[in-house]
Amino acid sequence: MSLDMPAAASPATAPPADGSLLDSVAAIFCRVLEAAEVPADGNFFLLGGDSLIATRVLSAVARAHAVELSFEEFVADPTPAGVADRVAAAGLTGVQGAAR
Amino acid sequence: MSALVGPGGPLGAPVQSAVVVGAGLAGLTAATELARHGVAVTVLEAQPAVGGRTRGVEVAPGRWIDAGAAYLGDRHTELHALLAESDLKTAPTTMLGASRFALGDGPEHATRDGRFPPLNAVALGDLFELLDELTAAVRPDAPWLTPNAELLDGMTAADWAEQQLPHPDARLFFPLFLGEMMAADPADVSVLHMATYLRSGGGLRYLNAFEGGAQQDRVAGGAHRLCERLAERLRADGGGLRCGEPVRAVEQDGAGVTVHTELASYRADAVVVAVPPLLADAIDFGPGRPAPRAGVRTGRGCAVKLNLVYPEPVWRAHGLSGWSVNAAGPLLSTVDDTPPEGSPGVLTGFVTGAEAHRFAALDAGQQRAAAVAQAARLFPMLPEPIGFHVTDWVNEPFSKGCYAALFGPGDWLSLGPALTAPHGRVHWAGTETSTEFFGLMEGAIRSGRRVAAELLPR
Repeated sequence: MSLDMPAAASPATAPPADGSLLDSVAAIFCRVLEAAEVPADGNFFLLGGDSLIATRVLSAVARAHAVELSFEEFVADPTPAGVADRVAAAGLTGVQGAAR
Repeated sequence: MSALVGPGGPLGAPVQSAVVVGAGLAGLTAATELARHGVAVTVLEAQPAVGGRTRGVEVAPGRWIDAGAAYLGDRHTELHALLAESDLKTAPTTMLGASRFALGDGPEHATRDGRFPPLNAVALGDLFELLDELTAAVRPDAPWLTPNAELLDGMTAADWAEQQLPHPDARLFFPLFLGEMMAADPADVSVLHMATYLRSGGGLRYLNAFEGGAQQDRVAGGAHRLCERLAERLRADGGGLRCGEPVRAVEQDGAGVTVHTELASYRADAVVVAVPPLLADAIDFGPGRPAPRAGVRTGRGCAVKLNLVYPEPVWRAHGLSGWSVNAAGPLLSTVDDTPPEGSPGVLTGFVTGAEAHRFAALDAGQQRAAAVAQAARLFPMLPEPIGFHVTDWVNEPFSKGCYAALFGPGDWLSLGPALTAPHGRVHWAGTETSTEFFGLMEGAIRSGRRVAAELLPR
């Protein structure tokens, strides 16, 4: 199954995501997990998320930031910081507004 | 509305006697509750045994699994309470290891950790975001009053998918998801019904989840055992139970109600009809017809449940959970249903939606051959099964479908407002009358408690 992969850049070498991108991703985590607050290093699966609703995060991220991450990329670091870094690494840092 | 005045409730006299039609969880919950309060109760059941849409299969001496309703979660509080009162235990549903997915055109399958299918995650996320939005908008206590109810009730889930799901992976997965979730083909349910079902069961995540969700546990020994215990309690409290007596007609007059079966007639102050909508609608009521219980688009839950029995759950030793999701039938999904004792190994397959009709039309030999062959392709380590059980709920004349009736276009708007409204001395129960946990065992029990409260003095 072909997945739309972001431009190849390791999150380890990419510059860290800026604050507004992180805030936007964290807000998506909050909405999907129905949580008041999710810290930047909050693990989606330890906060009650499962694979089904993880896809909702990826859908919302794609709509807000025009970056389609794969499920495997999400699972590799399922935190707001991890997802924000992946989005930043894809080279599209323009925040196009919150998901809703 | 009926001009008939019924007993029970704040305005009528308390009932001294009642007939309950249907010995599933709803009817037996109502009957035991009424009998405990001194009402003379007779339960009439069409089948040779109690249970309704719960049914046990003995896969080894003393080891039972479910051929019908099976799962429960922590939010199913009335079911848990009833199990505790009945001295029955639950057993966790084990789901360890990798899953198998055969989602392409051919028989090839992929193996993945967890339950996430090898499909485009963003496309599936788009689907679940849309479903979550629909679900959140439903008015849970009165789905027919949901904003845009007319629009949502007028459209099938298939029409909706056609409009809303551009990605092929979402289009592929949606019918599989709906089949697994509510035993429905998308063409058979309205968008409002789909959203109501998801909302009433606790939302997408809760309904879909095993651990922490609606499939967390099973009833140890089989869910049918709960109905058996309730029947024992009913008898102990002086209630009557007659199996093998389908109810044909219900007549009411100023003094009471007469319930006619093929064999006899029963007189009481009130009757509780606790059978699925298609069966309730087939009873002759007089004088005066109640509001319809089903419409022309009301369908049968399309589930055939298969239990394949092997000496051991050998897939576990290969790091597999037994869970699979498949684009081609008959086994659209499989799950490890091995009894808590650890053997024999049971792989339960769900044949749902349109596939259930196709499968039901095969003869017994063809059914077995197709299911066993598909299981062996998915799990090549499987030996020949030592047991094979087919439970065709679609064609079960005294259930007419499972998990629950499927409300088609127009049904919620026309049937919804009268789901629980008594028709004189006729009161209604059944999981399809419960806006909480509609279609689940929990909904059945809640409906039974609600209807008993209608008849008992406050």
